[in-house]
Amino acid sequence: MIFIILNRFFQAVLVLLFVALISFLIFRFVGNPVESLMGQEATLAQRAALEEALGLNNPIYIQYFDFLWKAVRFDFGNSYRGALPVAELIASRLPATLELALTSAVFAVIFGVFMGIYTAINRGSVITNFILSSSLIGVSLPTFLIGVLLIWLFSVELNWLPSFGRGEVVDLGWWTTGFLSESGLKSLVLPAITLGLYQMTLIMRLTRSEMLEVLRQDYIRLARALGLTSKAVYFFHALPNILIPVITIGGLQLGSVIAFAIITETVFQWPGVGLLFINAVYFVDIPVMSAYLLLVGFAFVLINLIVDLSYFFIDPRLRDSELKDKA
Amino acid sequence: MDEPLLEIKDLSVSLKKRNTISVAVDCLSLNLYPSEILGLVGESGAGKSMTGSAILGLIESPLYISAGTITLHGQSIVEAPEHIRGSKISMIFQDPLVSLNPLKTIGEQLVKTIKTHFNISKAEALERGKRLLSDVGIDPERIDAYPHTFSGGMRQRVVIALALAPDPDLIIADEPTTALDVSVQAQILNLLKRLCIERGTSIILITHDMGVISETTDRVAVLYSGRLVEIGETSDVLQHPKHPYTAGLVASTPNIDPHSFHKKLFQIPGTMPDINDVPNGCAFHPRCEHASNICQTQKPPLFNARASCWLLETPGETL
Repeated sequence: MIFIILNRFFQAVLVLLFVALISFLIFRFVGNPVESLMGQEATLAQRAALEEALGLNNPIYIQYFDFLWKAVRFDFGNSYRGALPVAELIASRLPATLELALTSAVFAVIFGVFMGIYTAINRGSVITNFILSSSLIGVSLPTFLIGVLLIWLFSVELNWLPSFGRGEVVDLGWWTTGFLSESGLKSLVLPAITLGLYQMTLIMRLTRSEMLEVLRQDYIRLARALGLTSKAVYFFHALPNILIPVITIGGLQLGSVIAFAIITETVFQWPGVGLLFINAVYFVDIPVMSAYLLLVGFAFVLINLIVDLSYFFIDPRLRDSELKDKA
Repeated sequence: MDEPLLEIKDLSVSLKKRNTISVAVDCLSLNLYPSEILGLVGESGAGKSMTGSAILGLIESPLYISAGTITLHGQSIVEAPEHIRGSKISMIFQDPLVSLNPLKTIGEQLVKTIKTHFNISKAEALERGKRLLSDVGIDPERIDAYPHTFSGGMRQRVVIALALAPDPDLIIADEPTTALDVSVQAQILNLLKRLCIERGTSIILITHDMGVISETTDRVAVLYSGRLVEIGETSDVLQHPKHPYTAGLVASTPNIDPHSFHKKLFQIPGTMPDINDVPNGCAFHPRCEHASNICQTQKPPLFNARASCWLLETPGETL
């Protein structure tokens, strides 16, 4: 078991190094940092001094290792705008994005899996057909349109939920949370639905097709012939067998939810890293962009690692074959 | 004879597709007695498995039971088959490699089945599961193993243990040895037979293998194109078949006899009709060398409670 974890961990580190390389190249070669930091009026001597101070005259691999070493210590330099440390900027925005992503992922997984199972079990019923046809809307409408429609309906027309911002947040010192105040929770509803709707329909359709496939298996027929209750057939026998594909896609989707929260955050003016990134793009704030890229890469790699390792807990056949390979 | 355990009367299973209805099992009647082993034999598509699934109510749309009654101990089971599944009748399928849930240990699957039917604690269920495993010849210590660690024959033993777990009166075994090595087939059949005789459990053995029929069953029912063509004591049917189709089946069974090595194996000419295109009269008449005019127009009834063939109408006439 420890071999498998180490092996996967090693692969994850390799991917991260590669992501860091791209992130570093953006930092180094998109635009000229000296230009951005000093402006037009600086003298040649001042420029040379800054180049030296930034280490831009060192060989490229030294610069890369320097970048890595700093990144490990969360030192991404200062933002070009406002000159705040990028790490601080991101740390102050990260809780908002993570809370939004987590909420929408939980919403997507719970509703997606249950509706997928329901529509697989009750094939052809009126409710199933309704869910399936309306899920097409979830897949085909772009996120920003869904967001705007929800705002129009629930904020403008019905006036039930706030249309922008995070509401009141509680500061825990190292984390600011919107989960603990009523306005924070209310503010979370619309963005979370907007962000999670597409993932929910995807997970629902995947769960449904996997479930239909599994229900045709002989062990399901045997379980029925042995008189097991429908509940046992669906949840004891069928559900574990659809977990691997659902967790794989669900995990990847959580990564994209974090990465692509940008649009939702823009529509709802949600003060997360996505919004920070969009603003950074407007002002060509390279350190912020490069740190954001690293962050998203890290999130994807971490989630993939967890997904990979979860297979071994779910499927005994994988567990055994991997162990045999290593032995 | 005693009261029948299971009585199937005029059972028809139909297939509805758009506006056409085709008949997969046609007016089948048979009785099964306690502790009896009945063979259901016929070519693929003759309706053997369909009959087995229909008894347990396991057929799904577009197939449906269009006529007939099925009674167990004199009570109809067509309306609510879920009440008899497992507890009264359980079933074994062809391929043991896919009959067990790959993600659950055999212990978990046994305990789940046992606890569904008996109101006992998990520890007792586990104890009972271990006893069942040792009954089917598997080391009870392996109760926590996953199915993939067992061979095909071993898995079929586990499936038999599962089928016996609810203590049913009848086990429907649908080609239980077809997917297994020849050397293992006999072991599994003997095991199934021995355990059922010990427990007084009846078996309906579905197979296309006449060898399996002759070695295992007490009585045999021959199906052709969804219809019962012959039924009777196994030895009698195999030695003195009354229906030309049965005779053909017997003659086309390979025989390991040094004198017949060079003989060409008998073949019944033609193929079984598609269920959408069953001929009038006797469904077998296009392939039958004894066919006469009446065979082409009228369905033969079951003569002498034995065979559905017009040849039997005239006493004294035999094949």
